[in-house]
Amino acid sequence: MEQLLQMAKKICDKTEIYSIEYADNSVFFENAELNNMDSKFQSGISLRIIKEGKLGFAYTRNLTDRQEFLQNALDSLKGGVEATFDFPLTRKLPQLDTFDSSVENLSTEKIVGECARVCDLLKSKTDAEIEMVASAHVGNLRIMNSAGTDVSMRSSGYEIFGNIIYPGTGVGVWRAFMDKGFGMMPDDLVNEMIDLYKKTSRVLEPKGGKMKVLFMPSSQITFNWRILSGTSSKSVYEKVSPVAEKVGEKIFDEKLTILDDPLNDKFPGARCFDDEGVACKPLTIVENGVLKSFYYDLDYAKKMSAEPTGHGYRTTRWGGDRLTLKPIPALSHMSIKPGKKSFAELVKLMDRGIIIENALGFHSGNIPNGDYSVGMNPGFYVEKGEIVGRVKDAMVAGNIYDTLKNVVDVGDKLYPCSDGAWVPVILCDNVSVATKN
Amino acid sequence: MFDKLKSILSRLDADYADVRYEVKKDTIVSFSGKELTEVGANSADGFVIRALKDGGMASVVFTKETDAEKAVRSVMENARLIAKNVAKPATLAEVELVQDAFVPALDEDPREVSMSEKLKLVRKYNDIPLGHDGVATTSITYQDVIREKYFLNSEGTQIREDLVTTRIAGEIIGKDGDLTQNVRVSTGGSHGFSTVRDQEDYFEKRTKIVLDLLKAKPVDGGVHNCVLNQSLAGVFTHEAFGHYSEADLIENLPSMREKMKIGSKLGHDVLNIVDNATLADQLGFYRYDDEGVQVRPTQLMKNGVLTGRLHSRRSAAEFGEPVSGHCVAQDYRFAPIIRMGTIFIEPGTHSLEDLVAMLGDGLYILDAKGGATAGENFTFGAQYGYLVKDGKIGEMVRDINISGNLYETMKNITAVGNDLVFSKIGGCGKGPIMQMNMRSCSGGPHILVNGLVIGGA
Repeated sequence: MEQLLQMAKKICDKTEIYSIEYADNSVFFENAELNNMDSKFQSGISLRIIKEGKLGFAYTRNLTDRQEFLQNALDSLKGGVEATFDFPLTRKLPQLDTFDSSVENLSTEKIVGECARVCDLLKSKTDAEIEMVASAHVGNLRIMNSAGTDVSMRSSGYEIFGNIIYPGTGVGVWRAFMDKGFGMMPDDLVNEMIDLYKKTSRVLEPKGGKMKVLFMPSSQITFNWRILSGTSSKSVYEKVSPVAEKVGEKIFDEKLTILDDPLNDKFPGARCFDDEGVACKPLTIVENGVLKSFYYDLDYAKKMSAEPTGHGYRTTRWGGDRLTLKPIPALSHMSIKPGKKSFAELVKLMDRGIIIENALGFHSGNIPNGDYSVGMNPGFYVEKGEIVGRVKDAMVAGNIYDTLKNVVDVGDKLYPCSDGAWVPVILCDNVSVATKN
Repeated sequence: MFDKLKSILSRLDADYADVRYEVKKDTIVSFSGKELTEVGANSADGFVIRALKDGGMASVVFTKETDAEKAVRSVMENARLIAKNVAKPATLAEVELVQDAFVPALDEDPREVSMSEKLKLVRKYNDIPLGHDGVATTSITYQDVIREKYFLNSEGTQIREDLVTTRIAGEIIGKDGDLTQNVRVSTGGSHGFSTVRDQEDYFEKRTKIVLDLLKAKPVDGGVHNCVLNQSLAGVFTHEAFGHYSEADLIENLPSMREKMKIGSKLGHDVLNIVDNATLADQLGFYRYDDEGVQVRPTQLMKNGVLTGRLHSRRSAAEFGEPVSGHCVAQDYRFAPIIRMGTIFIEPGTHSLEDLVAMLGDGLYILDAKGGATAGENFTFGAQYGYLVKDGKIGEMVRDINISGNLYETMKNITAVGNDLVFSKIGGCGKGPIMQMNMRSCSGGPHILVNGLVIGGA
């Protein structure tokens, strides 16, 4: 890397080298039986150069010929992508605890054993079909640039997903446990799945209309994608954000506070620098319903004369291959501040309503505008504060800038959402529900 | 390269093993509004090994040749561990040995088109919407992806195949006051750069749609009878039925497997569905899948009755059904999984006018905007639609998202048009380790579907 940087510095005005190494081991259980295993050992180097105000980019899995690699980045300059930003000089970074050595030496037998334990537990208490996926991974990341930055980190993670499926449907209730190191899936999480499953074996066909809807954590990816779109510096710059002019104004109910805290190393995936080598810091997006700030990478910060907030990540909305992607503004460590009520207490607040466990089709619809229209996968029906059954062929629809103004209350526990955010359950009022009746 | 692969295979103490090496070349030109945000051509490569030992099957991916030893050790350890724990040992269906090198015929090879010409073309298309008042921004990306694949297995099959995909995809975003609306643009294919040429009219038409959407009313939520255009009929087939033709999704769900037995009546009599990835001029085209099996046309539904399924060698053996050649990986970073190739509803006899007349009152909805399947449930969005009253197409509506159920909705397709069209770009994500298939192709004629639940807004 050092040699490549020296070579590039001689020819280019500014240079950045991004290097990753990644090892992963995943275990798959289907119908409560071990079915498959997959491991990955991946690495690569990616190069950004700036010369005469233009940006060049190249990546490789195997750095065999430095000159050829550099030439590839130089060739891409001809495209004429403008780059007005500088690579940062990042020196002091907080020390984060992102690596748990237990993962490095974690045997596959142990992961298989834990999956089997949870499967047996779920099987003994339900008639469901059971799927489990568990994976352990370790990674190294290093970013060097011509401004003098040389930052690196080592990280680890362990995740287990359990899904209990209503027979004949392929649809289930799932929960995930994630940590930096290996851990047993907590009993309360397992019991929560079993309890929800048992209460919802009966299929009901309630009437639609406006009602209270309790959004479970995994369904909230629907909100997250629209919040991410609305508060991204890119959307503001392109004038497609409906809240572009609303910093300091109340956009959501006061019970909602939305944060991004990459430094919180209690969660796996904490970061002290982003994918451009900018130091990370906590950022409040929405405080008690009031829009506080947008998030920026180097490019959009420069374009909008703002300070970079450390949110340049090599990703897309669907994730993707970090090596081949260029950084974009991304809220990588979003969380919603929990409230004080338990899930059971929130259900008691519902006279008649729907609990949406998972949202199907969260990625379609008019995302910039905040509109959503999602299938229940599954949905549960609540009457007089009790869960009475399961709903099929039904949809929940609205606009997040309306729905999240009508928050009844927020749950007291944080769950990992499938997009990396940590969120509590959220109860909203006056939400449109379409059913067959 | 095959010598290297042979050397890797020789180190595997497996009952069956295969190794795949791929070079993936990716060229990209991307605009965000007026700004050019990305231009580049890069290549990356890697290896995938799969091993079967005593009924345990595992896979490993590695990108550094020097990691081969570590990868071999890992995949064998994992395969043996599965063998020790598994109640139902994996076996593979017998297939013919193949020794072949296949390079698809292209109508203009994108590798021979200069970057400056690609840039000029994309800029020209991007300028079309940007020249209209009411268009706030665009996001338009040109991409060509070339996968150069080398496949070798322990049975002696050895295949070289190239897959070349060219596409322009993105969206046009319109804004009027607080209202934002978007439409997608998508063009391209598997048979060369010519698939993205001469698209000026198409970009004009898409721009007009987004401007019209800014004046359209939101659709009312509830149950509607609908005519779907070809793009939607394709996505509908893919989401509502296609995924559950993929054997791996039901293999270990005993109760769904029972419901999806060959011979089950799942659809209306008018419904015939095929997956045919051998259609050379369609996006889904390939000759061999990523376990070295030649793909074959597979009739999935005939007159509403389930007649076939998409298989890997493992699932074909498990179900006792014929192999179909549908085990496909996104690229060198993944072991293959079962995928649709080119899935479509076979055309019937009705014209669009017939279908709208048969509909009477309802909605005419057009162009796919993302879909998803999970178990028996599916959703998909339409980019726009029109109210239909007394068999006449009326005003435009927006915000159309649909939810349905595998077992019920297929029975509600009551009439099929005569105007088959296939999709030009794909993007289907599947699996707990998500793989995107950019060549996932779907198609259909216009169809009439009763009783769709629409979310409204």
